[in-house]
Amino acid sequence: MSANAIWLVIAGMAITNFVIRFPSLAVLSRARLPEWLRRWLSFIPVSAMATLVVAGVARPDGAWLGPTENPYLWAALGTGLVYWRTRSFLGATLGGVVMFLALRALLG
Amino acid sequence: MSSTPSKQEPCPPRRVRFARGVALGLPIFLGYLPVGAAFGVVARGLGFSVVQAAACSATALAGAGQLIALTLIESGAAVLAVVVTTAVVNLRYVLFGAAMSAHVTGVPLPGQAFLAFTLTDETFAVNIDDHRRGLADAWSMAGVGVIAWTGWVLGTTAGALAAGWIGDPTRYGVQFAMPAMFTALLVAQAEDRRHVATAVLAATLAVACMLLLPDPWYLIAAPMLAATIATVMHR
Repeated sequence: MSANAIWLVIAGMAITNFVIRFPSLAVLSRARLPEWLRRWLSFIPVSAMATLVVAGVARPDGAWLGPTENPYLWAALGTGLVYWRTRSFLGATLGGVVMFLALRALLG
Repeated sequence: MSSTPSKQEPCPPRRVRFARGVALGLPIFLGYLPVGAAFGVVARGLGFSVVQAAACSATALAGAGQLIALTLIESGAAVLAVVVTTAVVNLRYVLFGAAMSAHVTGVPLPGQAFLAFTLTDETFAVNIDDHRRGLADAWSMAGVGVIAWTGWVLGTTAGALAAGWIGDPTRYGVQFAMPAMFTALLVAQAEDRRHVATAVLAATLAVACMLLLPDPWYLIAAPMLAATIATVMHR
């Protein structure tokens, strides 16, 4: 890709990212949301995080990995456990990467 | 809701609330450094200059979206295809923005624009968690946003500058930094049985959507379906 094309990608991503993030926040903050919608939105964080974890763990780099060949899966379980016990976001993330490296060496 | 301080306690000055947000976002900063560096290294390998890599991170602030953009560029995709695909990957931010809206009602529009600009998976989850504790306000959220942005841009710049020296970033396990952060943030969101059940439901639906839908659409379909079912079941 040429330098100019790369600049176009950068500009396009900058614009779309802001256009995606800003209107829903700004418009809905000025509206009175019905109870069911507020409840629906309250389930979005946990649902979105679960989806992101599954995507990152079950199909890293675009290919499905079974449990016996998947360091991502086991490292994620370990990471979750560390966070649950310690409530340390940083400790869980760093511990997770260390576990991942160990498991990757182990599972090949 | 939590943006109004309680009557008994004096409201801490903006500086203090902002600093609290920065401290809260420090783990995000440290997590973004290596992932940003990985983006910088790969971007350099695909023909980005250091300035372009840094500019992309500074203006898009879209972790997964940016990394997917690189994969597409590598496979020879056209500019429009790259921009449209990353937009679909980032569509979940429409939902995040909507979920954040209740917490920014008193914030003036430029402040809301800034908070929207710094809205990422991690800042969102950290701020939502902080709101649940009744602690977050506009200034703490701005602190979280600033430190997260700084980590992402700093990491990208360092990675782009040191690309030749770093080599293949996957050697250091950086590809697990994002899943690790998501996992910790998921556990943080699973506060009660209803939310744990919703997480399991969303995970199951995510697998189904990944199998059934064309590629990045599962990212928005699975959370929306899970939230809908949870809303109906827990009425």
